[in-house]
Parts: sequence; C-alpha cells; structure tokens
Amino acid sequence: MTNSIAEIEDSRCIFVIGSNTTECHPLIARRIYRGKEKGAKLIVADPRKIQLGRFADIAVNHRLGSDVALLNGIMHVIVKNGWQAKEFIEKRTEGYEELERTVSEYTPQRVSAITGVDPGKIERIAELYALNRPASLLYAMGITQHSTGVDNVKSCCNLALLCGNLAVQGGGVNPLRGQNNVQGACDMGGLPNVFPGYQSVNDPGSNEKFSKAWGRKLSDRVGYTITEMVPAMEEGRLKALYVIGENPKLSDPDWKHLDAAIRRLDLLVVQELFLSETAQIADVVFPAASVAEREGTFTNSERRCMRFRKAVEPMGNALPDWEIIMKLSNAMGYPMSYESAKAVFNEMSALTPSYAGMSYERLGLDGLTWPCPEPSHPGTPYLYKERFLRVNGKAKFHGIAYLDPAELPDEEYPYFLTTGRMFAHYHTGTMTRVSPHLDAEQVGGYVEIHPADARDLNITEGDIVVLSSRRGRMEAPARLTHTVEPGVFFLPIHFGENPANVLTNPAFDPIAKIPEFKVSAVKAEKLREP
Amino acid sequence: MNCRIVPSICSYCGTGCGVLFLVVDGRLMGTLPMKTHPVNEGKLCIKGWNLHEYVNSFIRLKSPLLKKDGRFRKCTWEEAIGFTADRLRSIVREHGPDSVGVLVSAKMSNEENYLAQKFARVVIGTNNVDHCARL
Amino acid sequence: MHDDVKNQVKEMLNQDVVDLFLAYRMMDGHPLPFAFSRENIEEVEDLVTGPARYPLEKLALEILKIHPEATLGILARECDQRALNVLSTWNQLEAGRVKTIRLSCCPSNLKEHSDCSYLEPHVSGSCKTELGFEFGAKTEDLEALAPERRFSRWMYEFEKCIKCYGCRNICPVCFCRECSLEHPDLIGTGPLPPEVPLFHLVRAVHMAGRCIDCGLCEDACPAEIPLRLLYGKVNEIVKEVFGYETGTSPGQSPFQVLGTEMMPEPL
Ligand code: SF4
Ligand code: SF4
Ligand code: SF4
Repeated sequence: MTNSIAEIEDSRCIFVIGSNTTECHPLIARRIYRGKEKGAKLIVADPRKIQLGRFADIAVNHRLGSDVALLNGIMHVIVKNGWQAKEFIEKRTEGYEELERTVSEYTPQRVSAITGVDPGKIERIAELYALNRPASLLYAMGITQHSTGVDNVKSCCNLALLCGNLAVQGGGVNPLRGQNNVQGACDMGGLPNVFPGYQSVNDPGSNEKFSKAWGRKLSDRVGYTITEMVPAMEEGRLKALYVIGENPKLSDPDWKHLDAAIRRLDLLVVQELFLSETAQIADVVFPAASVAEREGTFTNSERRCMRFRKAVEPMGNALPDWEIIMKLSNAMGYPMSYESAKAVFNEMSALTPSYAGMSYERLGLDGLTWPCPEPSHPGTPYLYKERFLRVNGKAKFHGIAYLDPAELPDEEYPYFLTTGRMFAHYHTGTMTRVSPHLDAEQVGGYVEIHPADARDLNITEGDIVVLSSRRGRMEAPARLTHTVEPGVFFLPIHFGENPANVLTNPAFDPIAKIPEFKVSAVKAEKLREP
Repeated sequence: MNCRIVPSICSYCGTGCGVLFLVVDGRLMGTLPMKTHPVNEGKLCIKGWNLHEYVNSFIRLKSPLLKKDGRFRKCTWEEAIGFTADRLRSIVREHGPDSVGVLVSAKMSNEENYLAQKFARVVIGTNNVDHCARL
Repeated sequence: MHDDVKNQVKEMLNQDVVDLFLAYRMMDGHPLPFAFSRENIEEVEDLVTGPARYPLEKLALEILKIHPEATLGILARECDQRALNVLSTWNQLEAGRVKTIRLSCCPSNLKEHSDCSYLEPHVSGSCKTELGFEFGAKTEDLEALAPERRFSRWMYEFEKCIKCYGCRNICPVCFCRECSLEHPDLIGTGPLPPEVPLFHLVRAVHMAGRCIDCGLCEDACPAEIPLRLLYGKVNEIVKEVFGYETGTSPGQSPFQVLGTEMMPEPL
C-alpha cells in the first residue's frame, strides 16, 4: 500500500475495485466504513454484489475481467471534462500524451458495451473520483489474478496519477495483501529475481554484496517462478521441491496438471502445521510451530513490520521454521547458528536498506513502516512523498489497451466462473477448517448461482451440481443467490473436496506470472438432489 | 498458577491486527483484540477472534514424518533432517543446483523467509525461490 | 492514587487473600491486562489503572475454569463491579472467588457523574448522523425519530455487520455455553451480513436484564454500530416493565419479577 491503513479514513473518496473487503480484509473495511461516515464518497466496482456495495454512493457490477476497459472509460470522462490534475501531471509524471491517446478511444458507450455498466454510471464514477481529493484506490486479488493482471494494476495507477491521487496523505493506490506476510515474504527476497530489499540477483553490485555477506559466490541467474516450476517439474528439469508453509496443491490453478507434475519429483519436502493436501504426497514432512509458539516479525499490507511473541511451547516435536531451516543447513554443511529470531533479524536488517533502521527494541508493539533506513528514522506511512522510484523521480503513465480474458464463455462452456474467499475461512482452509467456530460458519464448499440460471438448469438450493471446464470437473452443492449476476458462478477456494482449481485456467500474466483465477468458462449440470 | 497475556499479531490476512493471547498454565485459552494497537484499535474479525483454535487443533503435526513404501511413519528430527540433506545433496550433485526449488511462504515470519531464501541461494546455490502469493 | 492501589494489591497478594490480581501494566507504551502474582510482586510497581479497559472479569472466568479453587483479585471500575454482580446473579461466579479493589468510574447511562474516561471517546463522523445513529445518542433521540426513519437507520447499521461475534466475545456478561447466535436453526450461516435484523435483535433480547452498559461491545465492533444504544433501549424496557435494573446488586434475580424460582444451571 502506498498509504497507511488508518489514512483511508481521511480520504474524501474511496474507490474499491476487485476487493471484497468486508470478507477478506475486515479490519480495512472498518476504515472504509469510518471514512464513509466521516463524509467520504464511496465507489465500489466488483463483478459480484458485495456487502460494501450496499453503502456505496455508486456501485457497479462490471463484467468479469473487464477492469481495464472500465478504468479507461473513467479516465476518458475525466480527460474529456478537464478534471485531471494538470500541475501534478506536469511536475511529477511523464507519458501523459500516450495515456490520453489510449483513453480517448474508450467512450462511455464503447466501455458500456464491454463492461455492461451503464454509461451514465461511468460518468458519475469519474466525477466522484476526480472531484473528491484526496482519493484512495483499494484493490485486491480481483485486480491481480488475471491474465491481464499487470495491465489492471497499471490502469489503477494511471487513474490515481491522472488525478494526482498519489503521494498525498489519504490519497494513493492500495493493494490489499491476501495473506498475512506476503509483503514480508517479498521484502525478504522470497522471489526468483531479487535478494532481500528487492536487490537484483543479476546486478553485479548486489550479487557481490550478498556473496560477500554470506561467504559464497551466488548464482546470478534468475530462478523459476512458481508458475514456471510446474513445466520444469514435468520436463524433469526440477527434481526436488522444498515447500514451506504452503499448500500449492490447493492454491495452484489447474490442479490435475500440478498433481501430475509434483508426482514426477524425486524429492518433495513439506514443512507445515497440518497434513495438508500437498504434505500428503510429500516424501518428508517437517512439523512447524504456529504463530503462538515462536517469535518473529510480520510485515502487513501497509508495510508495517511488527513483532509477534512466543506465548506457549510448540506442540509435540514441532519446531519454529527458522530452527528447522537452520538444522537442515547445518546438516548440509553450511553452518548457521542463530540464537534467536532476533539474531536473524539483525543480520537481515543490516543487508536490507529499507529495514536498516529497525531493531526488535525499536519495533515495540506498534512496529515501524518501511522505508526506515536509519535508527533515528520514524518510518514512512505513505510512499513517494518527494519522488517516485524511477530514475528521474517521475511516475510514468502507460497507455493500456483492453484485452479479453484468456477464456470467455462459448457455446460449450456458457458460464463465467470466478473464485474467491468467504469471511470465515482463509486461503486453502488448512488453518480455518480445523477451528471449530470458523468451521461452524461454513462446513463445506458450495457454488453460488443466480436464481435465473438455476431455473434454466433446473437446479434448486442445495442440489449437487457438476461443474466442468476444459481442465476438469468437480461437484459442489448449489447456493442460490443474487450476489452473482446471471451467467456467473462463484466458487470459494477453501475447500479441498470441492477444489475450484480443478476448473480454473492456468493462463497467466506474462509479467507477474499470476494465474487467471478470476475468470474461466464452465458448464453446469444438476447431478442429484441433496 | 500462572497467567500471562502475550501480545502478538494475527496470522491470517495481510491486515496484521494486534491480538493478545491469554495463556493459563502454559495453555493457550483465548484471543483478545489489542485495544491500543494502531492497526485494529481493539477490534478483530471472526478469524482473529478464533486465532487460538487452530494452534490448539489436535490434528496438528507433532512429529517429523518419513514416507516409506507409500506410507508415512513418525521419525526423529535427526532422521528426517539427515534423509533430506542426503537426498538434496545427491540431487544437487547429479543435476545441479537449479534442479531444486524452494517455495517460501506468506505465513512465515520475515526472519524465516530471509533464512529460507538464504538457504536456497547459499546452501543449494539456486535462485529458484518463490512464494504462493501469486496464487 | 496509584500508589494506594499498588499497596493494596501487594497486601492482598502477600497476605494470601488472592492468588492472582488482574489489572493493567504498561508494555512498550501500551496498557495491557496483566496478572500480578506473589512470585513476582515487584511487578506491581508497574501497575497502571488505565486508560484502556479490558473485560478483566471475563479473563477471571477463564482462569477459574482451570483453577476453580483459586481466588482472584480484580481492579474494578463501576462497570466491572456491575458485571461481577450480574455474573453472581446468574450463578456464574461463586461468592468470594473474586475480590475487588474499587476504582471510580467511567461515563454511563447508569451513572451520570464520572471522573475518569476509560476508552477513547467514540466520535461520530459528520455523516453518521445522516446515515445511522450517532455514538453517544440517547434513547430519547431515538424516540424522536419517525418509526420508518428509525427503522431504516438501524437497518443501515446492521447491514454493516461482519459477523465477527466481537460484541459477544468481549461482553463480560455473555457466558452461555451454547450461544443462540450460533444456532443454525435460528440464524443462517454463510453469507455476510448475517441475517438482518435477526442477528442483532436476538442478541439484544438476550441482553435484556443482563447488559450493564459497559460499552465494551461497541468499542469492539469493527462495523461501528452503536450497540450500546440498542441494548440500552432494551434495558430501559426491562426497567420500565419489571422495575429491574441490571447489575445493581449481586443478590437480585431477574426471575423474581416474573414470579418464578427458575435459575439457569450453574457453572
Ligand atoms: S483479525 Fe481478521 S482482519 Fe485482522 S489480521 Fe486477522 S484475519 Fe485480518
Ligand atoms: S455494553 Fe455491551 S459488552 Fe457491556 S454488558 Fe452490555 S452488551 Fe455486554
Ligand atoms: S461486533 Fe459488530 S460487526 Fe461484530 S458481530 Fe457484533 S455487531 Fe457484528
């Protein structure tokens, strides 16, 4: 996020796109409620009728995967009316002409034909967003999990830049991270191309720095992303996989394909709290300690690095992840001898400029937001105050043309399928489904179907429905609801016995390598009554 | 009789709410929101309020497991680590370091992510490190 | 005033009057609930009485679940005291299990004057008045509204609910082993918001004769719903109709007014 979570309250306009915030980030939704009640305008754009939409000044349900078109249409209206932030564009950005050229083609009428959103509503959104500054734009997986994910993100940034809604208190572009420490995992170099602090593995300076610090010459060849690992496993280039705290079997698109690929591995090592779907097919399983049983730091969506503390002893013989990795490293002949998580933190912060000013003592209970380059630095609640991260300090507009999702409904597979979360569960369900109070809220999987579609398919509430796509088939009980539009089904991702990713499309964004979970084409059939 | 209230951070979504764990005699009894935490100001969602439940789940893994003839059996840490280190070493020797991949996790701490990628890069010698946040 | 409290706490611990004493202690600038013990008596020096308030009596019940023979001390504001009264009224707390050190208290409809503020005051946004009910509104303000407007404002408030159950979880007088809010035949599960207005009305009805207006629920509600006003209204009715005021003494029984001897099953 470029802003802090609390700042959302002080925005004059909050634009939520592709985020079911009340279910997936409830305590961020609270800030939206508060902002709204302080007088901010609220715009909600989501293919489903989400809870937040009920409180919006304007809520639209655009067709799945049509985000770029919608955003271009909004920008078209802004430019046409001269509402853009001219001074900001002049001083702090470049490439505006390119943007203007591109969006000029996206008239509300044309956008309406693509998105299904009434042209008048597009104009109204443009007006609310452009004329109530600072405006905060919030998005989540509904923007990123597309084959055009990077285009979607760039379009969000275009819109914010166009109105000068970046680098100001209460104004910014705020991706909401789906999982607890995604931010931290990326910051720490959990990516194939960078060391901690986003220092490139193939930059000679960075490579030398880390080679020296760690005492070995490091590879400068960019590694495989998770989406590239699958074909590498299939083709026998990847022989061993060490999976820590993840359940790719349930979170990867195209389950069957992945399953076959994983089985070709010579060695699968899984480190987990539970015997997850992935752990079940492992050769070795390491039992890990939970959040209450170890200490360390997490970095949340607003880049706030916070300490969690050990409350109880690990269950059975489970060990903290860092101790397991240390054991394995020692056994492989590279000695590691950290006394505590704090010792690891100190080594890390010395090598990571944005964390350099942090220490366990300084973090206290409030934590610190990065960048925090020195021990006297107070942390940075919002980014890019003075300059943007590019060489010349200016932000760049990108003219982005709309592209259809990789798969659209056709005669054989006539329905859209989208996936997501529900409020009581989390990710692949390994943690929430064993929690009695959460399990009680939702015991098993289901598929949301609009009553009109249900009528056509002769389906009633609770009937078991077979869904199939070009990749596979699965069954789930029907839940009839007006939350989805006619022609669209929704599947929650948490339930291994009704795995959504049997159906989803592994087509991925060429740059971010994020698969298109949010759009695929399916057909449905009633199997039996409940 | 021993009772402690330990501040921590919710490990579910990326909001990062401040919680307090109630520990009585070394047992995790419950979760409370931290009133003065800058992120959540004393409120939690249903997942945060029940954070202690998965920690206490009886189906947690309690021992390392090794698969033999298609079936898991419990083993010691020494066996599990020894087996894994041997296999990894011989795979690296035979097929090179880039034949190994490490998937780190958004559920691990910063320290653990740091160590895991360091492990991949230094001990194995590959940049095949990624996490599932794309998914 | 602090020193006075600290000395009393030390004395209670040293003289074995209580096994643990529940109050607050500063940690990195945050007042957190803390269990003081005889073994670490020096920690009492760091005891603070506020400003945050947590349901200490609820923590006490959790400890007593594991150590039913223990005696616990609690730093008790007016609201804690009222909560303890309700808990013993409803047979959830054995007499003498909890000893208190009394403290002057916070603003509440049950007590007009106050010399401490316990929570950050809830400020209503400028639109809250338009859209919903302002925090701190009085039940008279409710009545001043036309019924349709009153209805639609409450509906607006309830529709924000994210079903965190925080209002129940934090409530010092919510102690039922089986909660109606989780009864699938009564309130459906699955979608958000939970069934409007059933979820909230069920809780409101159950708070009749119980809610002691401590405000913890409202403070814990992520959806900014003025719950205190709702339960306050319910209890006003109980007071009017039955002449019953909750939490005023430990001996009263809400069923006395109904002329029955029935009591809920004890712990
Ligand atoms: S309590 Fe809820 S909103 Fe807060 S971090 Fe946990 S899951 Fe996210
Ligand atoms: S004010 Fe809320 S938390 Fe306090 S007793 Fe009443 S219902 Fe319970
Ligand atoms: S605390 Fe608020 S949001 Fe949570 S269940 Fe109660 S009323 Fe709903």
